Amino acid sequence: MRVRLENITKQFNKDTKAVNNFSAVIESGELVTLLGPSGCGKSTMLNMLSGILIPTEGKIYFDDDDVTEMPSDQRGIGLVFQNYALYPHMTVLENICFPLEIKKVPKAERIARATEMAKLVHVDMLLDRKPGQLSGGQQQRVAIARALVKQPRLLLLDEPLSNLDARLRIEMREEIRRIQQETKVTAIFVTHDQEEAMSISDHIILMKDGFLQQFDEPQVLYDSPANCFTADFLGNPPINKMEGVVRNGEVYVTDANLPSGVKIDLPEGKEVYLSFRAESAEYNPEASLKGTVIMTSVMGKEKITSIKLGNMEVRAYMDAKLTLKSGQEIGIGFKDTGVFVFDRETGERYL
Amino acid sequence: MKKIKFSTVLLYLVLFFGALIMIFPFYWMITGAFKTGTEIVQMPPTMLPNSFTNLDNFKFAFQTAPFVTYFINSVEMMIACVVLCGVTTILTAFAFSRLRFPGRNLIFSCLLALMMVPFEMLVITNYRTIVGWHLHDTKWALILPFTTSIFYTYILKGFFDSIPESLYQAAKVDGCSDWKYLWRVMVPMSKPSLVTIMLLNAIATWNSFMWPMIATNSKEVRTLPFGLYAFISEGGAKNERMMAAATVVVLPMIIVFLVARKYIVNGVARGGLKG
Repeated sequence: MRVRLENITKQFNKDTKAVNNFSAVIESGELVTLLGPSGCGKSTMLNMLSGILIPTEGKIYFDDDDVTEMPSDQRGIGLVFQNYALYPHMTVLENICFPLEIKKVPKAERIARATEMAKLVHVDMLLDRKPGQLSGGQQQRVAIARALVKQPRLLLLDEPLSNLDARLRIEMREEIRRIQQETKVTAIFVTHDQEEAMSISDHIILMKDGFLQQFDEPQVLYDSPANCFTADFLGNPPINKMEGVVRNGEVYVTDANLPSGVKIDLPEGKEVYLSFRAESAEYNPEASLKGTVIMTSVMGKEKITSIKLGNMEVRAYMDAKLTLKSGQEIGIGFKDTGVFVFDRETGERYL
Repeated sequence: MKKIKFSTVLLYLVLFFGALIMIFPFYWMITGAFKTGTEIVQMPPTMLPNSFTNLDNFKFAFQTAPFVTYFINSVEMMIACVVLCGVTTILTAFAFSRLRFPGRNLIFSCLLALMMVPFEMLVITNYRTIVGWHLHDTKWALILPFTTSIFYTYILKGFFDSIPESLYQAAKVDGCSDWKYLWRVMVPMSKPSLVTIMLLNAIATWNSFMWPMIATNSKEVRTLPFGLYAFISEGGAKNERMMAAATVVVLPMIIVFLVARKYIVNGVARGGLKG
């Protein structure tokens, strides 16, 4: 099912808009992540999709149906919560059956469908257990089965992995991806973890302060951020961000007071940020930008190097074969990709 | 051998005497019920009755006063109060915990403020209401004033509040009505709290004395505690007979308490005084 959001605004009180003029189209069968720091409006957006909240302005369409003010239960959605929200007094089977029980599906069919769903999420050997006897990952599997058993048009997942430990989180995100692709259900996944979003999604919607920042494929988001915020938010280690100023068509790094070698056609004296990914810097003795090595840590084929540039510190991957000592001065050159110039005030991207 | 601390010994000693003081009246009542009239006033007193097969006192009690009727009345009143009060408590607690309506907090605060008014002060208004409805000296007079309880509502609301909102949302998305959600999810989840509330209510109803004394006159609708009081004048001030009657009155509650002790203690500690 295709989800169309048109100019959605949600206002809780006079001054603050949790979601601001938000428009997006989510194509059928895709897994789309709503990503953003806490308080960015992603959960509000999800609640409007599920019908728990009604938008102040704007329209939500499921295919061609206007569902903006439709009650939750008529929307045909499945919800998965961060805290699983399983009914603790019911067994796994009863939990999965519950949505069908409400729909008054005959008992035999109910059990057949629930069992089938349990198989899909690999909890079919736990049907008689109570949620309290399951691990977090298993509970989340049951919650997903419960959300999917009534064959929803749209699956909404609200930070479903946040309560799991690191290893289970990776396992479960792959599982969610697999289940989503097997059922071909359109899914919207809310998270604040950029790594999770990058690894699981067909498309990512990045939000900040209620505004949509960028809506693209994960790789595009990473390679070609629309603005400074997107560049800062994605990537591990985080992107290096240096204050700069334009002189003679070249960005000078303010802290080091050195030309960076990055050419740009902007007015003289324009204040910008020069950002580069750790993998986009390279060792280049001829580069005009010089820094002092603080420390290096070996990561196998590369080593990550902390370099002092004036008053600030940047991190860059260097070839493992290079011998770099602390205190050594090195020249920093840049590759063609992963180097960006942003407006210091608006965050708008120039390069 | 492990060394036992002096403080531990002291603690157990205090607890032992505390327990002794608590248990002794019950012991005296039960043994007294089997004693004869001369044995009970005998000095020095006997710790055990001469014969445990002496059931004359019980026979006398049951012959003089209709304790069987009293007993049935008490059970009826208890069941009616526990069931009706349970239902109203569940519904009220759900409304205050989950439903949004204007003035919700204000109304709840007013109800809590009402808890400060002692029951004794309400006796007169309750009495006038019951008389006004022509229910005086009927079983309904015993039941109606106890079909709601702010205190139990407060306890249960505390427990309902601790159930995550997401469970409600999950059920709502599936099309579950409030009514069904309440009975299929909230009530089963609150079983420990509910059992406690019902037990406390059962004990309070069973022991209630003042209201039955005011609201009833005739033997047909009397309950056990008031029956016991009336027995003092009707059966004559014979200690051994009163002991037998008293034993009949408290025994069911002692049994209930022993069986359900675990729930009472847990429930009060858990659902009790939070939020």
